Amino acid sequence: MNVMENSQPTSTDNATKRVLQLQGISKAFADNQVLKDVSLDVNRGEVLCLIGASGCGKSTLLRCINWLETPDSGHVILNGQRFGVHKSGVKMRDGDLASMRSRVGMVFQHFALWPHLSVIDNIMASPVHVQCRDKQQVREEAVALLEKVGLADKAGMFPSSLSGGQKQRVGIARALAMKPELLLFDEPTSALDPMLVGEVLGVIRDLADEGATMVIVTHEMEFARQVANQVIFMSEGRIAESGAPDDFFGAPKTDKAQQFLARFHQHLESRSTAAPESSIS
Amino acid sequence: MNAYDYWSIFQGSFATVGVSLTGILVGLPLGLGLALLRWARIPVSRQIAYLYVSIIRSCPAVTLVMLIYFGAPQLGVSLSPLVAAMITMAVTASAFSCEIWRSALLSFDRQQYDAALAFGMPRFTRVWRIVLPQVWRSSLPGLINETTMLVKSSPAIAVIGMVEITRAAQRVGARTYDPLPPLMVGLVLYVVIIFALVRLQGRLERSGKNPEPAI
Amino acid sequence: MSLDNFILVWQQYPEILEAFGNTLMLIGIAGSVSMLLGIFLTPLLMSRRKAVSLSVTVYCESMRCMPFLLFVYMIYFGLPSAGIQLSNWTTGVVALILYNAAYMAIFLKGAWKDIPTETIEAGRAYGFHGLKLFRRVIMPLMLMRATPMIGNQWVQIVKDSAFLGIIAVTELTAAMNAIQATYFIPFASFLSAVLLYWLISLVIEFFTTLFTRYAEVRRT
Repeated sequence: MNVMENSQPTSTDNATKRVLQLQGISKAFADNQVLKDVSLDVNRGEVLCLIGASGCGKSTLLRCINWLETPDSGHVILNGQRFGVHKSGVKMRDGDLASMRSRVGMVFQHFALWPHLSVIDNIMASPVHVQCRDKQQVREEAVALLEKVGLADKAGMFPSSLSGGQKQRVGIARALAMKPELLLFDEPTSALDPMLVGEVLGVIRDLADEGATMVIVTHEMEFARQVANQVIFMSEGRIAESGAPDDFFGAPKTDKAQQFLARFHQHLESRSTAAPESSIS
Repeated sequence: MNAYDYWSIFQGSFATVGVSLTGILVGLPLGLGLALLRWARIPVSRQIAYLYVSIIRSCPAVTLVMLIYFGAPQLGVSLSPLVAAMITMAVTASAFSCEIWRSALLSFDRQQYDAALAFGMPRFTRVWRIVLPQVWRSSLPGLINETTMLVKSSPAIAVIGMVEITRAAQRVGARTYDPLPPLMVGLVLYVVIIFALVRLQGRLERSGKNPEPAI
Repeated sequence: MSLDNFILVWQQYPEILEAFGNTLMLIGIAGSVSMLLGIFLTPLLMSRRKAVSLSVTVYCESMRCMPFLLFVYMIYFGLPSAGIQLSNWTTGVVALILYNAAYMAIFLKGAWKDIPTETIEAGRAYGFHGLKLFRRVIMPLMLMRATPMIGNQWVQIVKDSAFLGIIAVTELTAAMNAIQATYFIPFASFLSAVLLYWLISLVIEFFTTLFTRYAEVRRT
C-alpha cells in the first residue's frame, strides 16, 4: 500500500525529488541558543535519523519543521513551499499555517492521542474535519490503516484502555491517515516499556520499506543504522557529523561522534549483561 | 450619602463577621466530629451523619435560617434572630467542613496510622497527635474557601431581621433613593473581609510549614 | 409538629406546584445559559490579548468577591437607572446567569490548563486551529474534566434561587413562607421546602455521576 500518495512536488525546481529543505535554522529559548544555523535536505523516499545526546537540539529541530516552534531565523521549505511565511514575506496566519501542517504527519513521544475520541475517531478526526474529505472514504482508509498496524480489533476502544505500544501504533496510523508528504517522529519509542518498543519499530521499518519520506529523532541506534538513508548527529545545537549510516556508525569522523558512540556501546554492553536485549525484533 | 450612612453600613459588618465567625468556630469542630464518625465507620450514626450532611449541603441559606428561626418555637424553643442566625451558620459550616475533613482523612497516609497502632498509642493520642495535625494542614485551603462561601451566604440572615452589610446598604439606598453607591460600599467591605481571609490562609499555611515536634 | 401539619402544607399543592415549577425553570434556564456563557468566556480568559483577558478576569473575580444577593440588588436597582426595565423574574434570571457564568469560566479555565500540552499540540500539528481546535479538542476535554465542578455549580444555583424571593420572585421558599404565615405551620412548611431542594440536588448528583462515568473512559 503506497502511503505517500500526496508526495507530488508543487514546484518544478531542479531538485524535484527534494521534499524537505532546512536552511540556516536558528532558535533560542531565553538565553539558551538551542539551534545554531542548521541546514539539511531530505529527498522523497528517504529516511533521515537525527541522533545526539539529550539537549543537543534534535527535538527542537524536528518541531521547527512543522512550525510547532518558530525558528528565529532560517527557512523551512516543504516541497518547494516555505513553511510559516508566504512568498511575499508576510507571516502566515493560523489558517494557512494549519493547512500546511496538515501536509505533515507527526508522531509524538508521549503518543498525544485525543483521549475523548475512540481509536478510529482519532485516526479520522483530521482527515474529516481539517482536510474535509468524504467521511465514508476516510473511514474505509482508517480501518485499512488499523489493520496495517495490527490493531483492527481496537477500532471502537478508547486510548485509555490501550498499552503504550498500541497507542503509538494508533499514533502512526493517525499520521498516515493524513496522506502526508512527510512523516515526523519525535522519539517514538522513548516512552515505551522495552517490551513494547519492537512492535512500534517494526511498523516504522515497514513504512521505510514502502518508500515513506521520514525524519526520525531516536535513541535507538541499531534501528537507526538499519532503517536510515542518512544519519545526522547533532551536538550543542549544530550538526556535528552527517552521512550514510554504515559510514557514521562504522567509522565516525569527528571526536564528538566517536565519544557519543563509545558511550552508547558501553551502555549497550551494560544493558546486555544486565537483561536480555528485547528492543530489536 | 453622609457619614452616618457609611457608619450604618459598616455596622452591618459586625453582624456579618460576628455571625460567620461564630458559625465557623462552632461548625468546624462539629464537622470534624461528623467526619471522624464517618471515617471510623460507626454504624447508624454514620448513616445519619451522611443524611444530615447531604441535606444541609443542598439547602439554601434563606430556607435554613427561616426553618430554624420560625420552626424552633414550634419545638418549644424561642430563639432571638441573632442566635438563630448563628445556629444556621454553624449548621451550614458543619455540613460543608465535614466533606473537607473527610477527604483529608481519606487521603491520609494509612501507614502512619498503622505505625502509631504498632507503637501502642491509645486511640485518642493517635487521632490527636498523628492524624489531626496533618489533616488540618491539608484541609486548610478548602476550609478557608468554605469560610468565604459562608460569608457570601450571610445576607440570608436579613430575612429574619438581622441587619448585616447587604441589608444595611439596601436600607441606606432606600432612604436616599440612590441605591448603587451604598451597594458599592457594601462590596468594598466584603472584599476586605474576603481578602483578610485569604491572607489568613497564607499566614496559617506558612506557620504550618515549621511544625513543632510532637513531644 | 404532627403529621397533620405536613398534610396541611401539602393541601396547598397548587401554590407549591407553581412555585416549585418556577424554581425548576429558574434553575434550568440559569444553569444551562450560565454554562454556555461560561464556555464562551473561558477562551476570552485565556486570550493572549491583554485587554480581553484582563476585562473578563476583572468581571469573574468581582463576582467571586461578592455575595449573590448583593449582586441581585445591583442588577435590580442598577438596570432601571440605565433605563432598562425588566420584570423581577427576568432580573433574577439575568443575575443568576451572570453570577454563575463567572464561576463556571474560572474553573473551566482551570480544567483547560489541566489538559496535557501534548494533546492540544497534537491538535495543532494535525491542522486544527482557532474555533475548530477549541470545539473538537479543547472543549470536550475541558468539560469532561470539569464535570464534578459543573454539577456543584448547578447545586449552587439551586441555593441561590432562594434569594430571589427577596425581590418578590415566585419561588419555592417564598411560597412556603406564605403558607406558614397563613396557617402557622412553619416547621412543616420549611422542612418540606428543605426536602424538595434536597430532591433537586439528588437529581443533579445523579446526572453528574452519569456524566462522570461517561468521561472516565475518555480521560488520559
